[in-house]
Amino acid sequence: MNFSRKMAWRNYLVEGFLILASLLIILPLLIMIFGSFMTSTEVLKFSLRLPDKWMFSNYSKVFSEGGLGRAFLNGMLITGVSSILNIFISSAASFILVRRDTKLSNFMYMFFFMGLIAPMSTITTIRVVQWMDFYGSITSVILIYASLNTAFSVFLYSGFIRSIPKALDEVAFLEGANTFDVFFKIVTPLIVPVNATVAIMVFMSVWNDITIPLYFLTDSSKWTMPLSVYNFYGKYSRDWNLIFADLVLTSLPVLILYLFCQKYIVSGLTAGAVKG
Amino acid sequence: MKISKKLYSYYLIWPALLIYSIFFVLPALTGLFYSFTDWRLDRESIKFIGFDNFERIFTDRTLLLAIKNTAIFAVVTVLGKNLLGIALAVGLNMKLKSKNVLRAIFYSPSILSVLVISIVFTPMLRSDGTINRIFDAVGLHSLNQAWLTNPSIVILTVAAVSIWQHTGFQMAIYLAGLQSISKEYYEAATIDGAGSWRSFRSITIPLLLPAININLMLTLIGGLKVFSEVFVLTGGGPGNASQVVGTIILRSFGEGSWGLGTAVNTLLFAAVTIIAIPLLIFMRRKEVSE
Repeated sequence: MNFSRKMAWRNYLVEGFLILASLLIILPLLIMIFGSFMTSTEVLKFSLRLPDKWMFSNYSKVFSEGGLGRAFLNGMLITGVSSILNIFISSAASFILVRRDTKLSNFMYMFFFMGLIAPMSTITTIRVVQWMDFYGSITSVILIYASLNTAFSVFLYSGFIRSIPKALDEVAFLEGANTFDVFFKIVTPLIVPVNATVAIMVFMSVWNDITIPLYFLTDSSKWTMPLSVYNFYGKYSRDWNLIFADLVLTSLPVLILYLFCQKYIVSGLTAGAVKG
Repeated sequence: MKISKKLYSYYLIWPALLIYSIFFVLPALTGLFYSFTDWRLDRESIKFIGFDNFERIFTDRTLLLAIKNTAIFAVVTVLGKNLLGIALAVGLNMKLKSKNVLRAIFYSPSILSVLVISIVFTPMLRSDGTINRIFDAVGLHSLNQAWLTNPSIVILTVAAVSIWQHTGFQMAIYLAGLQSISKEYYEAATIDGAGSWRSFRSITIPLLLPAININLMLTLIGGLKVFSEVFVLTGGGPGNASQVVGTIILRSFGEGSWGLGTAVNTLLFAAVTIIAIPLLIFMRRKEVSE
């Protein structure tokens, strides 16, 4: 049919154009990946080519000279604990906010929601952490990340918990359960997929961040990967092969997470797109 | 059977409320207070000085430039990320053989750290870097620029890198929105003789409003809060040509002029609130009426 042939042509045209556009995304990433296996002179051309000889030793060198092992563990600790803490506190709070549905709880929802809009006040946060006498510690950074991500998580959890019928809670309450039981035994098992979405979103944003470590982690032994890499980049600015290897290593955890947990990321994005 | 709301006791809110209040709200409120003081690293006492910090912000050339740059960055990235994001999403929502691979490719930079992308682009943006060499190779030598060292375009270069990295994220949200639109609307429109532009305008755009709403908010707020891109790509340079509000706050912190730093932050807070909240209300109203 004429019409469907026209459609097919249009599709080929769009596909061809999009494939060309995707090269713009792939090329810089390939320059980084191939460059990370080159010698320090070969990499300086910054053009797209395979390494003459694959220098796998760049990676071990980066580990020994860049102190990346330590930074990796710091990052895992900060990212892991702040995601778990965030999941726990946000889901519990959202459960009550949604179920109560009173003026006070609606006001509190807006109070949390402001956190999505308002910028963080960095200098006075440092002040607060100094007052509490743990400035520079990993604990302070974990708590700051947990609080920074509360707004987004409460927003995601509230949308989902609203769709769980109240009838389930009512039966449990009639049998003498308290809020604690209902939350952990009835609601928590039902929100496991949202927990995964929140965990991944928080993990990615915390792992990639440099702002908070820059202001709050003054001691280099506590730095996370991106900040160590930034420091390495300043020190070894001639050895681009090593810098690229560093960047690839920093990106690996989030890439792996993305490959294995794509469906949870998509469901998080869908919540935003459909509910607004 | 109606159960009392009191059964949902408030104590489950406390952990979130405490952490959020201490580490986010309290600093925001004290910041508001300190922005009217001469709080400095090297001074023992803190004095209330009224609007002096704000007066300084609006008379200091560098600070004004930082505000202007932040506004330029926000506007350019909002337009770039959303227009390109919608275009990519519409294209990748068609029946294309390679659509899954293409979606993954366009999305992938947005999961990486801004630090990673900014460092990768630094050598490519030099005068003798990859981008200018590509222009030379295809005979467009006249497009060559000193991308990161020409003061009049440097902030646009930073914005372009940010668009390159994050458009895929906006695309993913638009795609999710497009997929929630029933195909029947388009079939009905085709039967009624509507062309593809007409369908796009009368079906896609109105039904995509929730996604447009959230994307405009995210890109606008993110744009005004920009820091890492500028910090890594230019450090605010050359000179102060690409300073933004975020880098000025870091500089004030480093110099010990904390009162001024909090004032800059207060201004950012005011700007984000003044722009974001009416937009939020306006978009909500539009959505309901559709």
